[in-house]
Amino acid sequence: MSRKEALSQFINQIHGRAVVVKLNSGVDYRGVLACLDGYMNIALDQTEEYQNGQLKNKYGDAFIRGNNVLYISTSKLVKK
Amino acid sequence: MAQNVTPTNQSTLLPLELVDKCIGSRIHILMKNDKEMSGTLLGFDDFVNMLLEDVTEFENTPEGKRITKLDQILLNGNNITMLVPGGFDMSE
Amino acid sequence: MAEEEQLPIPVKEPLDLIRLSLDEKIYVKLRNERELRGVLHAFDQHLNIILSEAEETITQIEIDEETYEEVYKTTKRTIPFLFIRGDAVILVSPNSSKVF
Repeated sequence: MSRKEALSQFINQIHGRAVVVKLNSGVDYRGVLACLDGYMNIALDQTEEYQNGQLKNKYGDAFIRGNNVLYISTSKLVKK
Repeated sequence: MAQNVTPTNQSTLLPLELVDKCIGSRIHILMKNDKEMSGTLLGFDDFVNMLLEDVTEFENTPEGKRITKLDQILLNGNNITMLVPGGFDMSE
Repeated sequence: MAEEEQLPIPVKEPLDLIRLSLDEKIYVKLRNERELRGVLHAFDQHLNIILSEAEETITQIEIDEETYEEVYKTTKRTIPFLFIRGDAVILVSPNSSKVF
């Protein structure tokens, strides 16, 4: 089942990376992904909360409940 | 007795097999809250959570249409309503 | 989904972050613009939460009838002891780590 491997590979290499987590409400969280579970519950470090592109809040650590998550986005690894 | 093998006739394609055939190509996704996504499908799981690359996100906001480009996303399958293999032209 | 086991920090799964905050003050963001700060007594896998000495902040947007400006009205109250149903939870953060 190669289609699933792509997902687990992504999940395995995502720890410690800078991510944007977008919620269904449209709120964005930018931070470093500490960990993730099967419900898409997420622990983020150095979290910044954005609403309409404006910074609203900062949290050192944040837990996000998975049901609110629309997507988790990473920028491509810069290959040097 | 051993009827638990796929009961299909050969011509039909299971819905998820269609999605499987889309791996590696562009796909357009319609979400519950009239949001849309377009990207290259890299993989998916049984919940149709999807891994997408070179994604464009289309949103309707009070200020008008908003387009966001994203490198790679893990999309929650929960809010997906429809998938269009091959993607389509959003310029109209 | 894959399991993660190779992390050096005690946070192996997201819920561990909350486990670390037991008996400490936490910040909880809920649906419908509700926020709570209080001492975390217990939680479960659904994120049902028990808080004590909770301060609730409710933000409501009202439109000024003359200027049509959006006015944010916040109301606060304290609740000595309360149960939060997990499905309303959006975000939980250890209070110490809230920057502003």
